[in-house]
Order: sequence, then structure tokens, then C-alpha cells
Amino acid sequence: MNYGPLLFLAAFFALASSWFGFVLSPQLQIGRLQQTNSVPAGEAYPVARPGLARQGLDVYRANGCAYCHSEQVGQTGIVSDVLLTDAGTNRQALTAALLKVKPQAQPTELLATLPATIEEGLTNKAEADAAAKNLSVGGAKAQVWIRPVGPDIDRGWGKRRSVAEDFLYDYPVMPGSQRIGPDLANVGVRLPDANWHLLHLYAPTNKVPGSAMPPYRYLFEKRRIERARSPNALDLPPELAPESGYEIIPKAEARALVAYLLSLRADTPLFNAPLSAAAPAPPSTNAPPK
Amino acid sequence: MNGQAQSSASSVVSATAEPKAGRKAVPIWLIVLLCLLGYWGMVFFDQRGGWFSSDVYSPFTAVAQVQIYQPVAGEEWRTRGKAVYENVCALCHNTDGTGKPGQAPPFVGSEWVLGSPERMIRIPLSGLTGPVTIKGQAWNLSMPAMGAALSDDDLAATLSYIRNSWGNKASVITPEQVKTVRAAVGNRTQPWSVELLNAIQ
Amino acid sequence: MTEASSSSRASGLAASTAEIDVSCRLPLLVLFISAAIWLVMASVFGLIASLKFHSPQFLAECPGLTYGRVRPAFTNSLLYGFCVQAGLGVALWLIARLGQTTLAHRWLVSVGAKVWNLGVTVGVIGILFGDSTGFENLELPPYASVLCFLGYLLIGLWGVVTFHQRRERILFASQWFLFAAVFWFPWIFSTANLLLVTFPVRGMTQAVIAWWYSNNLLFVWLSLVGLAAVFYFVPKLTNRELHSHYLALFTFWSLILFASWGGIPNTAAVPAWMPALSTVAIVLTLVPLLAVALNVFQTLKSPGSNAPRDPSLSFVLFGVGAFVLAGLMNIGGALDSTRQLHFTWFVAARTQLHLYGFFVMVMFGAIYYIFPKFSGVEFPYPKLVRVHFWLAALGILAYALPLAIGGILQSVQLQDAKISPVQMVQSSLPFLRASTTGDLLLFAGHLAFLGNVAGLVTRFYRARVTAVYSVATADLFKSAEAKS
Repeated sequence: MNYGPLLFLAAFFALASSWFGFVLSPQLQIGRLQQTNSVPAGEAYPVARPGLARQGLDVYRANGCAYCHSEQVGQTGIVSDVLLTDAGTNRQALTAALLKVKPQAQPTELLATLPATIEEGLTNKAEADAAAKNLSVGGAKAQVWIRPVGPDIDRGWGKRRSVAEDFLYDYPVMPGSQRIGPDLANVGVRLPDANWHLLHLYAPTNKVPGSAMPPYRYLFEKRRIERARSPNALDLPPELAPESGYEIIPKAEARALVAYLLSLRADTPLFNAPLSAAAPAPPSTNAPPK
Repeated sequence: MNGQAQSSASSVVSATAEPKAGRKAVPIWLIVLLCLLGYWGMVFFDQRGGWFSSDVYSPFTAVAQVQIYQPVAGEEWRTRGKAVYENVCALCHNTDGTGKPGQAPPFVGSEWVLGSPERMIRIPLSGLTGPVTIKGQAWNLSMPAMGAALSDDDLAATLSYIRNSWGNKASVITPEQVKTVRAAVGNRTQPWSVELLNAIQ
Repeated sequence: MTEASSSSRASGLAASTAEIDVSCRLPLLVLFISAAIWLVMASVFGLIASLKFHSPQFLAECPGLTYGRVRPAFTNSLLYGFCVQAGLGVALWLIARLGQTTLAHRWLVSVGAKVWNLGVTVGVIGILFGDSTGFENLELPPYASVLCFLGYLLIGLWGVVTFHQRRERILFASQWFLFAAVFWFPWIFSTANLLLVTFPVRGMTQAVIAWWYSNNLLFVWLSLVGLAAVFYFVPKLTNRELHSHYLALFTFWSLILFASWGGIPNTAAVPAWMPALSTVAIVLTLVPLLAVALNVFQTLKSPGSNAPRDPSLSFVLFGVGAFVLAGLMNIGGALDSTRQLHFTWFVAARTQLHLYGFFVMVMFGAIYYIFPKFSGVEFPYPKLVRVHFWLAALGILAYALPLAIGGILQSVQLQDAKISPVQMVQSSLPFLRASTTGDLLLFAGHLAFLGNVAGLVTRFYRARVTAVYSVATADLFKSAEAKS
């Protein structure tokens, strides 16, 4: 293989194949994604982050938070539960059906409080559907509850896996590649308190003992108390509080970062990530966190 | 593709000359390995690749499978109501509707739940303060307007769920009812009290 | 392309080895000295980043030195400051030597090298000030990327011209690898910068392109240049011929076909076909991996003279070993069924083993061989080269292996929902401590390297000054002798 131009052409096409595969094709497929609708509610998803949260995304990028935190929830499977929501009028028929579906069940105990979980963790949806149908005797209502499973979900890091739509309006998209700290995809659901986040940024070991996260004190400023204490001042415990006459105020970057963290939620059910739950509408507001 | 013309005798080259390459063939086992890995790759992609569909995310393997897990039309308010209830109301009122003494009254068998929808809808919309009697027990707490931020559909589903769970049995509340009440209430910020509620049918 | 017609295309270019080496002198001086300095800078950043795990309060007051800024500063100074510069220097020398022609337009090449350095400097300072782009391995801010791209064009273009002007028309294996590398870098760099920074694509597509770029830079470009050096230096330093031309050809095609498709992790929030294709491609890179190992092993085993071993050979052979190990780790990571290895120290260890254990070590071997050739001066501390080798070898093993084990442990812990992130960090601390020791050893090795390079450069300039001085004063002495 001694002819320069031939070598160039052949190598060009071999290397270009990956350009077609991982630059052009994703651009055609997910690069032109639009807002989608959640199922079954049909609400538009995702909603663009409010202005302060978008500034917070920039602070997240500038301080390299993505080197310790990921923003992707994974799921390893999806299971169905069978729930009985209405006992109907014919108790005897229901009890008989119940014992047929689940022979070792205690009907009176189960039917005492509704909704009752009859079957849990079925990997075969058809089986769950059949069970639900069999239980629907005499006006009783049973439904199939879909639930993603996986270690991330068990940990409470999310209700379903992250999909491309979750990052639609973000720039830059930083899914992260290390989990030295917890995953942040749903931190706005898990830790909705702005004050917790501000204190955690100021002194991580105070909120999470043993944490390896460095304190981000440069996102705060120490100010002399003028006439009265500022409403934004941090409520620090005595060992961290500044000397009397001074208060710690979060800078604009800290407040923006916390607004971004609070806007992180990715548990709306979508067509490509189904689950039986509809998250309540996220509080989109520009009001500064208290 | 010419290689170097080399005699197989000596492969020693002088130190100053540039290196040359011998003409040994590629061992056959390497080619066989390539073919085997290629075959494995095709099978792997067939199983896990979802055939280039943009809707198939692992652990799903085909669009048909994703389709199976989509919610069916019907009693959406139960699924939705349960989810919203567990996110918003259950923190105080408990997931089984039994309430927490000193914090929130129970929903199970409560006359305020099973009674008039007009009254029930107003409570989460604007809140409730002051003394109130529930199932013979006296309560005197203050409930914030937890339902004010919810959409009509969500609030209707949640209230319907409360009215039809844990032994409760009452009519389903529709989003239209919630909408009418919202319009009637306007932008009321004052929480309700029992006297005001009793005035409403 | 017969020999006769090829020599008629010589167009009067010098063919002697010494002339070729001298023609490379100026640009290679710029490239190699800058690379050595950047290596030490990268080490410093890497040490600071590493120390922060053991003491989060360390330098926490300074916003420019927070982990999230020091870490990209470390990776970018290592990648763009050392790896690309050393790689380009070695590539240019190899293209000139193997083509038996002098380097074309060396002044422009050295200007390009200086522009590249300016770009990286501005870029790393920008990262420390918070201007990082947010994409891994491409954190250089846009103003720096432009400079780097211009610098590269100046270097790469004349590399291609040198290749085109070659007198020796029969191509040796290294030349295919280098030719592909020279045009692949500007393609991936410009694509990534255009689609991620200048006209950003929407949503998750950014992450896919960032992963594609990162994989192509680390596992394709570095592999191409590194393997070019391996295929040149192993036969050259052992006075044998490369075992098989066809096996090298097979390696070349399988590498560029398969390796460039890797990079999308299993956990990615993208449709399933992308991680699936990536996994298949990475598993298929087993083939070029084995081909390289086989070629090198058979070359060493083939009969030939056993001259005393050049220290460069130790570096290159260690690099080949690390290449194979890192490649196997890559395949293991792709086939990981827990799908958590991507988020652990395992991939960091694999990346460092490939980047440092393979590429940087091979570059050390190459630079230790090439520098005396074009400067005409030997390294002042030959024993220090051996010391450097052991420091670097032990250092990268101490760095990568504990991290790999820690990463596997971390992936097992991530599976168990009862173990909190704080517990995971605490249990990975002993591994991080071991890896920081590795960092220290590597840093010491880099200082040895810089010392040797600085010593050689001082000797070189002193020799030149002495020569110029003696030429200038020769007349004076002659006339003085004539008088006496």
C-alpha cells in the first residue's frame, strides 16, 4: 500500500464511518428532538429551566461539578405490580378469585385496606394483566402498576432511567463520568430545600459527615451586619458561624447553582421510559431561594 | 500493496538503515477470531440494539416491548391521584390516609372527604384553619393551600383517589368541577374556616 | 511506482540521515521542550487534584484550584500540552526519516508549534478561571481551541507535504499510521468544536459527540501515533526487521475501522443502538490488540544480534504491554453487565494506563532516541534515563492498578442500594492513597526527564556558542600565531 492518495481515501472512509455513525446519525435522530408529551397526562416535557436555573447550570459547568457527580439514572429492568383498588360488591367471588391468583394470600387481611398490593415485581406484564383481569369480578377494580427497577432506583436516585429528552434544553449537557458523589438527576425531588443546599455548599461535612466534597466558601461572602440581619444570610451552627457582627451571604452564583439543583427532576413518565406515576408540575419560579 | 522484497535468510539490518518489515502472513487464527467476534457482534446488536429505533432505551429491546408497558386508557385518575397524593399529601396525612395526631387529620371515613365535593375542593385550594370536628374528634390546626399549585387534572385525580381509597367510597371529582370552584374562589389567599365552609353546599 | 521514477521525483532534496535530522531540529526543539514543560505542569495539577481527596480542605479557598477546575487543567495540559506536541514531533521526524527527505518549511512548523503552545497556555488559564466548555477532554475554551487548530494546521500541513515529497516511495508500516493520524486530528477537533461550542447541537447529541471525540482522540489518534513509533522503534532498536508487514497492515485497518466507533458508555441516556454499537466495536478491537502484541513479540523473538539494550527500548516495550492491558480493560468495561463500571475509578485507570502507560512511555522512548540525533549532543545524565524509566514504570502501575481495583469494588458497591456514597468514598480512600503515591513517583520521573532535556539543550546551545565563538575568533588566533 504505497500510493498516498489511495491510502488517504481508504483511511478517510474507514475513519469517516464513525463520523456517520456517531455524529451525523445522532444529529438526525436525537438532534432534532422536540418537546414530547408525558404519558398518559399529555403534558409537554421537558419544560425549559427558568432563568436563574439556567445561570446555575453555567456555574455548575464553570466549577466542574460534573467531575464528581453524574446526572444519569440507570434502570436494569421494569416490573409490574398488581393493585386492587376497589373491592366491588361481591366479596365471595373476589375472595375466590384472589385465592386462585395467589393461593397463599390472606384475603381478609389484604382486603382490609385498599389499595392492596396483590402481586409484586412480576417481570412478565402479560401475567400481571391476566391477574388483574381475573380479579375484576363483581365490580372489583384491579390495576397494573408499572415500576422500573435497578440499583439507582432502589437508592432513590430516580423513579425511571434518564433519556435524551431530559437534557433537551441544556447547554452544555454534562452527564458526568464519575460517581464520587451521589447522582444529581433528581436532586430537586430528593432534596427540595434550598437552605440545605446552601449550607451543604458552604460546609459539606456539616450536612454529610465524612463527605469528600470540598467547601465552596468562595461562592459566599462575609459581610458586616448593617442595621439588621439580611434575610438571605445563612443560619450556620455555632462552630461555623462567623464572629458576631458578621453574616455569611450567598453570592449570586451560589443562589443560581442552588436554583439549578432544585430544578433537576427527571421522573415524568414518557413513551420511551414508561412508569405508573405522574410527577406534579414542577414549581417554576424565579423567586430567590430562601 | 507491495511489501518489502526480503530474503528470509537474515533479518539483521544495520543500525543506520531504517527498519524494514518481513512478509509473514497474518495467522489464520486471528482471521478466524475476527470472524467469530463479528458474528457475536451481530447477534449482540440484534438482541440489544433495538434496531436503531429512537424510542428504545435499554433495558427494552424493541419498540413493541415499550408499547406493552404504556398505560391503558381508563381510570387514569387512580394512577395519577395515587402518585400526586404520595408526593404531596402523604407527608402529613400518611400514605394510608390515617393522618398523624397533632399534625393532620385522617381521611378514612372523614365526613369532609365523603361529603360535598364543593367543600372538599375548596380545602386544598385555599387551606383550612381553625377548629374543626372530624369523626367526633376535635382538630385545631392550619392546613396550607397544598393544592393551589396543582393543575385541575391533578387536583381532581388526587381528591378522587382520596374519596375512593382505604374503604372510602364516593363519587369521582372531575377536572371541570375543580375548574369551576377555582373560578368561583378567584384569587382568595385566606384559608377557609369551618363556618365559611358550612355556608357552601 | 518504481524506484527509478521515485528517485526522479527527488527534486534535489537531501537524503542523508544527518541532513534529515538537522532539518527537523528547530521545530522539534520547540515541540519537545514545550512538551517536557507541560508534562511537569500537568503533573503538578494532577498532584493537586489527587491530594484533594485526602484532604478536601486543601486549597479550597482558591476558586481557581478547586477540584472541578484543576482536574480538567490536568487532563488538558497532559493531552494537548504534552501528548499532541510530543506526538507531532515524533511523527514529523518519522515521516522525514522514513521518507528519506528533509522536513518541509521547518520555520512555519516551528511557528505552528509556538501558536499551539500559546493556545494551550491560554486554554489552561481559561479553565482555571472557569471558562471550561464542560465537555470532557475538550475543556479548552473556544478562544484557545482556535489558536490550537491554527497551530496544528501549520504543523500538520507541512507534515503532509513532507510525506508527499518522500524519496523512498515504498511505505513502511509507521507511515500509514502517521498519515491517517495527521488528517484525523483536525477532523475530530474541528467537528467537536464546531458542533459543541460554536453551533451547539441540541440536547443529548452534545454528549454523544463529546464521547465520540474523546474516544477518537484517546483511543484512535494516540494509538495511531504511538503504534507508528512502536513499529519503528522495536525493529530499529533491536536490529531486527518487523515480523510481518501484512500483520501491521491488518492492525492498521482493524484499528481505524473498529476503534473509532467506541466511546458511548452503556449507561448513556441515548437510544440503545448507540451503546450497543460501541460495545461491539470495542470488543472487536481485541483483534488489532492481539495483532500488535503478536507482531512485537515475534519481532523480539526473531534471530538477531543482541546488542546492549537501549534504554528507549524499555520505554517502548513497557508501552506495548500497557497498550494491551489498557485495551483489555477497555473491553472488560464495555462488556460490564453491572453497567456501573463506567462511573467508577476503573475507567479513569484504563484511560490513564492507555494515555500514560502506553502513549507517554512510548513518547519518552522516542524522545530519548530522537533528541540526541537531531541535536548532535548526548543526554548529560544517562543513568537518570534508567532512573526515569523505573520511576515512570512503577509510578504508572502504582497509579493505575489500585484505581482499577478500587473501581471494581466501587461498581459492586454501587449495585447495593444500602451503601451510601459517603461509605463508597471512604472505602476507596486506601486505593486513592496508593494512586497518589504513583502520582508522586511520576512527578519525580518528569522532573528527571525535564532535567535531562534541559541539560541537553544547555549543552547543545553551549556547543553552538562555542563553535560560533571559535569560528569568529579563529582569524584572531591565526593572526596572533602568525605574529609570534
